[in-house]
Amino acid sequence: MADDIILEVRNLKKYFQAGRPGWFSRREEFVHAVDDIDLQLHRGEVIALVGESGCGKSTLSLTLMGLEEATEGSILFEGVDITHATNQQRKKIRQRIQMIFQDPYESLNPTQTIEEIVTEPLVVHGLTPKPEERRERVRQALEDSGLKPAEDYLQRFPHQLSGGQRQRVVIAGALVLEPHLLLADEPVSMLDVSIRAEIINLLADLRRARGISVIFITHDLSTVGTFADRVAVMYLGRIVELGTMEDVLKNPQHPYTRALLSVIPVPNPRLRRKRIILEGETPNPIDLPSGCRFHPRCPLAMDICRHKDPQLLPVSDSHAAACLLVAQ
Amino acid sequence: MSPEKSLKRYRTLLKKIGWSAFTILFVVILNFFLFRVLPGDPVKAGTHDPRFKKENQEAMRVRFGLDKPVINCFETLNPVQTGDCWINPFETQFFLYLRNLARGELGISYHTNGPVSEILVERLWNTLLLIGAGQILSIFFGIVFGLFAAWKARTVIDYSALITGLVAWSLPTFWLGIILLFWGSAKGFPIGGRITPGISSFPLSYQIADIARHMILPTLTYTIVYMGEYLLIMRSSLMDVLSEDYILTAKAKGLSTFQILKDHALKNAMLPIVTIVAINLGFTVAGAIQIESVFSWPGLGGAVYEALERRDYPLLQGVFLLIAVSVVIANLIADLMYSYLDPRVQME
Amino acid sequence: MTMALPTAELKPSIPSSPFTDFWKLFRKNRMGVIGLVMLVLIIFVAIFAPLIAPYDPDSSAGITSRDLYNPPSAEHWFGTDDAGKDVLSSFMYGARVSLIVGFFAAFISIVIGGVIGIVAGFYGGRVENLLMRFTDTMLVIPDLPLIVVIVALTRPSLLNIIFVIGLLGWTTTARIVRSQTLAVKSRKFVLRARAIGAGNGHIIFNHILPLVMPLLVVNAILVISLAILNESTLSFLGLGDPTVTSWGQMLNFAFGRGAMSAGAWWALVAPGFGIVWVVLGLTLLGHGLEQVLNPRLEAHHLMPGRPTVQGEANLQPAPQGIKRESPVLLDVQNLSVNYVNEGRIMKAVHNVSFQLHEGELLGLVGESGCGKTTLMMALMRLLPAVGEIANGHIYFHGQDLAALTEAEMADVRWSGISVIFQGAMNALNPVRTVGDQIAEAIRKHLPEMPPGVVDSRVMELLELVGISAEHKDHYPHQYSGGMRQRAMIAMALSCNPQVVIADEPTTALDVMIQAQILELLDELRKRLGLSVIFVTHDLGVVAEMCDSVLVMYGGVTAEYADVDTIYNAPRHPYTQELLKAFPDLTRPDKRLVSIPGYPPKLDALPTGCRFAPRCPLAFERCTVEMPELHSLNGGIHVASCHLVEISPRPPSSLMPRRVEQD
Repeated sequence: MADDIILEVRNLKKYFQAGRPGWFSRREEFVHAVDDIDLQLHRGEVIALVGESGCGKSTLSLTLMGLEEATEGSILFEGVDITHATNQQRKKIRQRIQMIFQDPYESLNPTQTIEEIVTEPLVVHGLTPKPEERRERVRQALEDSGLKPAEDYLQRFPHQLSGGQRQRVVIAGALVLEPHLLLADEPVSMLDVSIRAEIINLLADLRRARGISVIFITHDLSTVGTFADRVAVMYLGRIVELGTMEDVLKNPQHPYTRALLSVIPVPNPRLRRKRIILEGETPNPIDLPSGCRFHPRCPLAMDICRHKDPQLLPVSDSHAAACLLVAQ
Repeated sequence: MSPEKSLKRYRTLLKKIGWSAFTILFVVILNFFLFRVLPGDPVKAGTHDPRFKKENQEAMRVRFGLDKPVINCFETLNPVQTGDCWINPFETQFFLYLRNLARGELGISYHTNGPVSEILVERLWNTLLLIGAGQILSIFFGIVFGLFAAWKARTVIDYSALITGLVAWSLPTFWLGIILLFWGSAKGFPIGGRITPGISSFPLSYQIADIARHMILPTLTYTIVYMGEYLLIMRSSLMDVLSEDYILTAKAKGLSTFQILKDHALKNAMLPIVTIVAINLGFTVAGAIQIESVFSWPGLGGAVYEALERRDYPLLQGVFLLIAVSVVIANLIADLMYSYLDPRVQME
Repeated sequence: MTMALPTAELKPSIPSSPFTDFWKLFRKNRMGVIGLVMLVLIIFVAIFAPLIAPYDPDSSAGITSRDLYNPPSAEHWFGTDDAGKDVLSSFMYGARVSLIVGFFAAFISIVIGGVIGIVAGFYGGRVENLLMRFTDTMLVIPDLPLIVVIVALTRPSLLNIIFVIGLLGWTTTARIVRSQTLAVKSRKFVLRARAIGAGNGHIIFNHILPLVMPLLVVNAILVISLAILNESTLSFLGLGDPTVTSWGQMLNFAFGRGAMSAGAWWALVAPGFGIVWVVLGLTLLGHGLEQVLNPRLEAHHLMPGRPTVQGEANLQPAPQGIKRESPVLLDVQNLSVNYVNEGRIMKAVHNVSFQLHEGELLGLVGESGCGKTTLMMALMRLLPAVGEIANGHIYFHGQDLAALTEAEMADVRWSGISVIFQGAMNALNPVRTVGDQIAEAIRKHLPEMPPGVVDSRVMELLELVGISAEHKDHYPHQYSGGMRQRAMIAMALSCNPQVVIADEPTTALDVMIQAQILELLDELRKRLGLSVIFVTHDLGVVAEMCDSVLVMYGGVTAEYADVDTIYNAPRHPYTQELLKAFPDLTRPDKRLVSIPGYPPKLDALPTGCRFAPRCPLAFERCTVEMPELHSLNGGIHVASCHLVEISPRPPSSLMPRRVEQD
């Protein structure tokens, strides 16, 4: 069912130049931010991209948005290759893919009113030239985002709202274009725990009501909960494990996933578990380790891991992991 | 330090020096064309100056090739007269200007009929004496008052320092000089110059004391004006530093106020001052021109004033070049000093 | 749909725009207002000079040789000049020249500098490189000599002067605008605008320009004053437009034509006074604008703090803490902290009591703005200058820390109680090596220790927290985030404290690094027998590490109990709601519920229970009466909620208790 797939990523790579060859050094260096990623997203599906900072999850989302040019590979959106779209095509695509950012304090222009912020996408795309119709759409987007009644918010400025309300405004600004795909880059990590749930629940309700697909980027798997259908765990630019939420939580295959899950604190003092704490820090994505890129920190590393780079291989129909232990 | 890092530092150093060299080249070229693009080609016109001796006119004409085209394709630039493009580039005024510059020849003054370079060398030292004394005093007082203002923030000390700084900054240098001169002459201070004429027969200590007496008013003018700016910067910089988290850490460690100011605040707050001193060198020269004009101090700034009064264009051209090049070099030194002081810049 | 509606969030008051906000703040800024008034006055004089000037400065009709350098009189308020003209009239006309040159030249500079700055900052790459190289080159060439040379070589007319000053005065503007553009460009709302599909033009005009504008205005004021100073200097050097009267020219004539020897101070003072008036007016206005646009708390950590007062009598005695075998180390009784600013009192912490036993790890939790950090800073007596301990005692080794002098407190800090601050990047001095900053504390508290021993102790401490000793001579920016936090821990342990306060030590760190740091902290605490107060908003971390928990809300104790009780039998609705909102990986199907609204602002605390506006169980009494602290289960569990009183489980008697001092 190819129609069912809204987004397909094939062998996507995004490298950044780190050192420029100059008078004194001839060596070119690259940051391997996203290094060979394959991913399919179904219509109405929510996938969580999980990983620590520097794993490439944010670069991946920016590349999918077309805000960074892919180095290699292709991105197919609704069956069309958009990897190297022209500016005109890109503008059209942006009505269909929208993004929500981590920091609602930063992602709203402090000099614009809420109305201006939510109207802006319509103006940029020249949609709904009639003022009444435009106002109605803005009002609808705000109320769908939980800011009811919208009239109370239209004339206010971002600094007059709370963090949760601001994130709702950001969501309204994305909704007003009626997107098919939403990229949410750590949308709750800057918010107090007490209001995270309302944003997650809002996204879940939107997905249910509108069938929007969501890519949810986070460093903390526990915040996603049942909201996500599938989880992709990333490490140093690669997906190391991919499966349904249940697969990954109940039966993690990759040693990195296991460690990551074990260190997420559980709010129950009777459940103090043995944590797998990895040594050291994520290596520099310029000089990648040989073989499996996780081997220097892997508690289960074997000799072969230093030479052989594992591929993402299926464990079951819905579950895959890139580990030589799994392949055996 | 690893060899890679020292290579990196070396590279940054070379880059900075290279960039300053380029700026100097730009100034040199600008200095040539300014005096030829602007109306009347004063260099050429000036050779008919009645004060200018015939033999000097001839020497200047030969040495600076004033009968030659300005550059390839152009006989003169104002009014624009095109000429032969295939002429040997070494046979142009521009090349001769560069060649003479390389030899340290800056032309002959219309007024004294002596080489401009000789006049400037003597005056450079006088200016350095004045600027040096003024800078040291203004930086010192600016820092001390700024420190007290920030430390005692929101008290009478702070407000008076702030107002003093703002008023001092707003004073036109030359006017403050005039007022101090007016007041000083009534109090018996020397009214101008560097040294009392005829004192050269006295012992050296007398001469030094005499120069110092002449320096009091110009240095005071300089100090007041620039102290204002340093005070304001020091105050605001220290206010920033003192509200940083690491000051709270230092306090939590049990350090005394004196220790915190000395070991944690001063160096961090001084860094912006170094930058400002560098950027200010241009303004410093502006100040020197004004002060030396008012107090007839025989420095470079005074030379500007005299050159303007006497329409002595070779002198003006020479002074401008020397001032600009000195400022570029001083800027480079301040920049290198900054990267020595701030470990964060050092390693980049 | 169980979507949490923001019903409890505040209804909008009268919407205020940034501009009305700005004006409100500016009106209160004395310097800015004085500067503005000075400028308005001089602009008035300049515009109406022909109407109000007593004489025409261009006409020499009726002037005789007896009129030269006449002192101020009834006819000539500011005296006469070298040509016998009225100084006051010339002064009034001179204002016109200064202001015209200042405004027009600055306009040219601002436009050039603004365009170059925005283009360079926004487009980056080669364009930026080229433009900024050019700007830097122009910046180091001293501008006054260049202006002098150009004006000297061209005809000195007003128009020439305006253009030369304007064309050479843009460099600082370009640099400032560029760095501001870069800063704005990196903000997320610009990325958001791109994600919407907006083009460069739209972004520059709608998102960059509005945020660069305030800075440009402040800079414009500086550029105007520099242009005015430059013009007056030019005129003083004799390069002014001979056809108009300017202040600089008046000074040039007076200085050059014997005002000094004639003792005619009025001819020298008046024009200079004009320049100072305008420039000072501009400077004050600029200073005021900057304070309003870029407000900084004019306060810092070295300002003297307010003394402790015992302002709240008749408080319910501190409830008994959680019983433990080990002795009490830190006993906090009825502690209140107020912020006093411009006569307004804000109760940041009210009547908090707890006991920290030897070897205990106490978790202090609550949302942001609940007074956690204020409480910790009060324990260390590190409150900001506006903060005061308004009531209560902090007993540590029999001493009441609240009553100590600053000098006595300095001895307790670090050797008795130390702090691991949130955000180690900012808590470490960037220009001193990490080792040096650790050694400094040791030298202060153990002055008899020889330097060599201090050095080896520093290395030992670094190794203890898992940093190899060779890194001791490195600067904080050479450390990674995790290493900095480790160094901060090493520093906190350097003087063998008994109590360590860890204020959100893992916020902003990755989960794995966070786990490493927490593991380290836990291990060190057990090994060294430390008592730790752990401030956090992460209920998961608390559950994994702490022995007891103090839940704060709106500056008061909501609930205080051992960790198992808090998680498995919480009595306060706030604790219950917090737990409902907190995700649990072991129960992925748990439907999370937010607490609607947000914690109360300190200047608008509710009259009754501080949690009542957000509490799902609130009833009438909660909105009028603040609940007392109720002890449950014989004093090992404390909750401040009216429901506890009503509940079937009877609250145990509140035994007044004094701490046995050792």
